[in-house]
Amino acid sequence: MAHSDSTQNSTVYLNGKLVENPHEDTHHVSPVWEFSLVFGALLFLTILTYLVSYAGLGPASLPVAMLIAFIKGSLVVGFFMHLKYEDRFYAFLLCVTILFVSIFFTFVLFDMSTTAELNEEAGIEYKRHVEDSAEAAEAAAARQAAEAAGAAPAPAAAGHH
Amino acid sequence: MSTKASEHEDRPWFLAHHFDTVGQQVSSAKLGMWLFACTEVLMFSGLFLAYFIIRQLYPEMVLTASEELNKTAGGFNTIVLLTSSFTMALGVRAAQTNNNKALQRNLLITIGCAIAFMIVKYFEYTAKIEHGLLPGEYYSALEHGYMLPKYSRVFYGVYFTMTGLHGVHVLVGIGVLSWIYIRARRREFSSENYVAVENVGIYWHIVDLVWIFLFPLLYLVK
Repeated sequence: MAHSDSTQNSTVYLNGKLVENPHEDTHHVSPVWEFSLVFGALLFLTILTYLVSYAGLGPASLPVAMLIAFIKGSLVVGFFMHLKYEDRFYAFLLCVTILFVSIFFTFVLFDMSTTAELNEEAGIEYKRHVEDSAEAAEAAAARQAAEAAGAAPAPAAAGHH
Repeated sequence: MSTKASEHEDRPWFLAHHFDTVGQQVSSAKLGMWLFACTEVLMFSGLFLAYFIIRQLYPEMVLTASEELNKTAGGFNTIVLLTSSFTMALGVRAAQTNNNKALQRNLLITIGCAIAFMIVKYFEYTAKIEHGLLPGEYYSALEHGYMLPKYSRVFYGVYFTMTGLHGVHVLVGIGVLSWIYIRARRREFSSENYVAVENVGIYWHIVDLVWIFLFPLLYLVK
């Protein structure tokens, strides 16, 4: 794509920029310090992911964790996968992919979160709700039995709202 | 159409006969690799959506069930994969700069990290299997003294599918990295001909990319 069919003497433009020596297949070589810096940033962000997960941010912890993962992913794609220095068509491909993934996610999750309320309004009760109530009661009973027995295995089911 | 000279005596040995120039060959190979990388993202997106759906339906269950995953092992594997991505990027750079020795060394470190990842995964899986924390009908946590919420089997189904598919990618990665290593030992790569190294690098970074999202979602959910 970057390589034009024009003759040796003509000027070649790519993405509006002048391409110098279009017939020489020169490629961008990133310096080692750039890779090291990206690697350091990735390690730092990994530690940050840990800290965020223990910070007790509540409902904000998922978006924050995803934001950090997104920054890490961008660093990997941009520098390690060299996308920053490639023909922009590859970046376009990836953006289209991400666009379709977001359509996929948005529509399904939107549908899931809205139809539950519609069902409730219409008086349709999920079988799951009935089972979950029974499950919560069961788990509470089991936990009490375990505590009475002196054993202390902590993780038990939380009661359903 | 290429110039006349390149059709005859100027053709390098690695230029396939159906390409006019090396640049055309490199662009084709890279375009194919990026398209494949995009289909990988799409494939994993379905599993990520499955995760988000069970998380939306059963938030407490996902929270409780994920507490049984080994965060230390997951964190160690994250560091291992990031390191392997770093050495892979350095390997591609070594090929670009005609440093065959550094290319072989970096490929070996990358393969070593991939094997280390799978060994840690083996111990994690063994622990889960021993404790009955398995998907679907194989789930038997209660018999092993774990009191987990009712639909925990669904969480472990998603856990094993996502990490399993990712693990298969790591195994395939070990295969293609070894293939590139053998070719590097034969001194096939140079600053003119390294697109195979670069493409395997893109594949390996995709494997790392998936884990970057997998790890916080499965191991660190709060």
